[in-house]
Amino acid sequence: MNTSTTPTPIIVARNVDKRFGSFYALRNVSASFTEGQVTAIIGPSGSGKSTFLRTLNRLEKHDGGEIVIDGIELNDNLKHLDAVRREVGMVFQSFNLFSHLTILRNITLAPMRVRKMPKAEAEAKAMGLLERVGLKSQAHKYPVQLSGGQQQRVAIARALAMDPKVLLFDEPTSALDPEMVNEVLTVMRELAHTGITMLVVTHEMGFAREVADRVIFFDEGAILEDTTPQAFFTNPDHERAQAFLAQVRHGF
Amino acid sequence: MNWTKRYPGWTMFGAMVGLLVFLWGLAIPLSAAPAPIGPAAMQFAEGARITVWLTLIAGSVGVVLGVLAGMGKLSKFLPLRWVCDFYVWLIRGTPLLLQILFVWLVIPTVMPASVNLSDFACAAIALSLNIGAYNTECVRAGILAVPHGQIEAARALGLSPLQTFMDVILPQSMRVALPALANNLASLVKDSSLAYAISVVELTMVGYRVQAESYQPIPVFLTIATIYLILTTAFTTLTSALEAKLEVGQKR
Ligand SMILES: Nc1ncnc2c1ncn2[C@@H]1O[C@H](COP(=O)(O)OP(=O)(O)O)[C@@H](O)[C@H]1O
Ligand SMILES: [Mg+2]
Repeated sequence: MNTSTTPTPIIVARNVDKRFGSFYALRNVSASFTEGQVTAIIGPSGSGKSTFLRTLNRLEKHDGGEIVIDGIELNDNLKHLDAVRREVGMVFQSFNLFSHLTILRNITLAPMRVRKMPKAEAEAKAMGLLERVGLKSQAHKYPVQLSGGQQQRVAIARALAMDPKVLLFDEPTSALDPEMVNEVLTVMRELAHTGITMLVVTHEMGFAREVADRVIFFDEGAILEDTTPQAFFTNPDHERAQAFLAQVRHGF
Repeated sequence: MNWTKRYPGWTMFGAMVGLLVFLWGLAIPLSAAPAPIGPAAMQFAEGARITVWLTLIAGSVGVVLGVLAGMGKLSKFLPLRWVCDFYVWLIRGTPLLLQILFVWLVIPTVMPASVNLSDFACAAIALSLNIGAYNTECVRAGILAVPHGQIEAARALGLSPLQTFMDVILPQSMRVALPALANNLASLVKDSSLAYAISVVELTMVGYRVQAESYQPIPVFLTIATIYLILTTAFTTLTSALEAKLEVGQKR
């Protein structure tokens, strides 16, 4: 269905609003993302970055506009929701591994329950993924026995076990000690080359600049800039973006 | 270290086998005892069996009731929350003896004549409802202790609400609730003695009868107390071994 010349948008968000009470966390947000694209989402704290990601797999319901993922509209239809959640994986700031399950079980749970994959197959697949993130030897440990960086790599493997077309990352390195940031970024960098669609909320400007195909800058619930990393980091259009960049650079 | 903690599986197995052997063979050592215990050995053994049955039945049903009402109390559906709140309020605010008498006297008048509930069944129903209400609060606290991020992770992986509950919420909340549930079970061993009021011939009733015939309350009540202590010890060992078994993953 998709020819190589016209890239298909896998995510389309049109005029999306999200309110908490009378407060607009997202205001008329429109963006579409093509398959294989890696997008860095940047912006000050409280600007709606997490909220935007979370509306894309309906951890938050949007109040206005529409969201279509791979041709499926996100609405109250539970069948649509199931289908979308199978295609969209998420990696959280705080890892959120299941603390009562071993690393291996953390990864096999969803394929076995949701995709009804036989246990042996799910475990073989999980071991392959663990090898990919460099944690094969930790398979039988529990999450508390792992460092933050290791836990986040497991969380990435867990999301990949469902073969998602899209992976959402919400500040995946923000909760990590500095010396663990790189091991997670390395895994993400490798992923970016596999053709999976990635939306990454991040404060790692180096990563955004080097790995992303596109940068979106959020401010006060709206998209202020939507451009290439090159353009964004050398010459942002808006004063708010310039101020943000100056502040971030100053911080490092 | 502690044997229970080091070999929880074997301890559970041992406590269970010990309990069964004790119930099975209780009459043998007792019959060797002098009057008034020896001649009544079979009665003591039968009383102990009834006590254990009441405990096991009401304990199991009570856990199911506790989980259902504990979930109900956290439901978004207001009437369900009211029903569960009312149930807990009613049971915890009235004496157990009254509840046992109520079930015994009132249920036969509202049931069709063809349904004939035994005294034992009435006691089991009342005790189940009673411990269920106390369990509700423990389960509710356990559910609230499960980190919300893990629930979001499960949903984002595509697990249904029921799968999320069974695979992520329930196991972790039971681990938190278990010490309190075990406490309730230990109380139940003793509370089951109130079934004597509706002429269920459990352990305390046996003791009462034997001493009334023999006019020797001291040896009779010492025997009864010893049997209760052995039973509560067996149940406590069983539950603390279960706790140790579930504690994996919390260890560093
Ligand atoms: N569940 C919620 N209830 C109320 N307000 C919320 C909730 N989640 C987010 N917000 C508000 O929405 C705004 C955007 O939040 P968020 O998307 O988390 O920002 P960011 O991820 O960019 O830091 C913030 O002002 C935040 O306080
Ligand atoms: Mg955020």
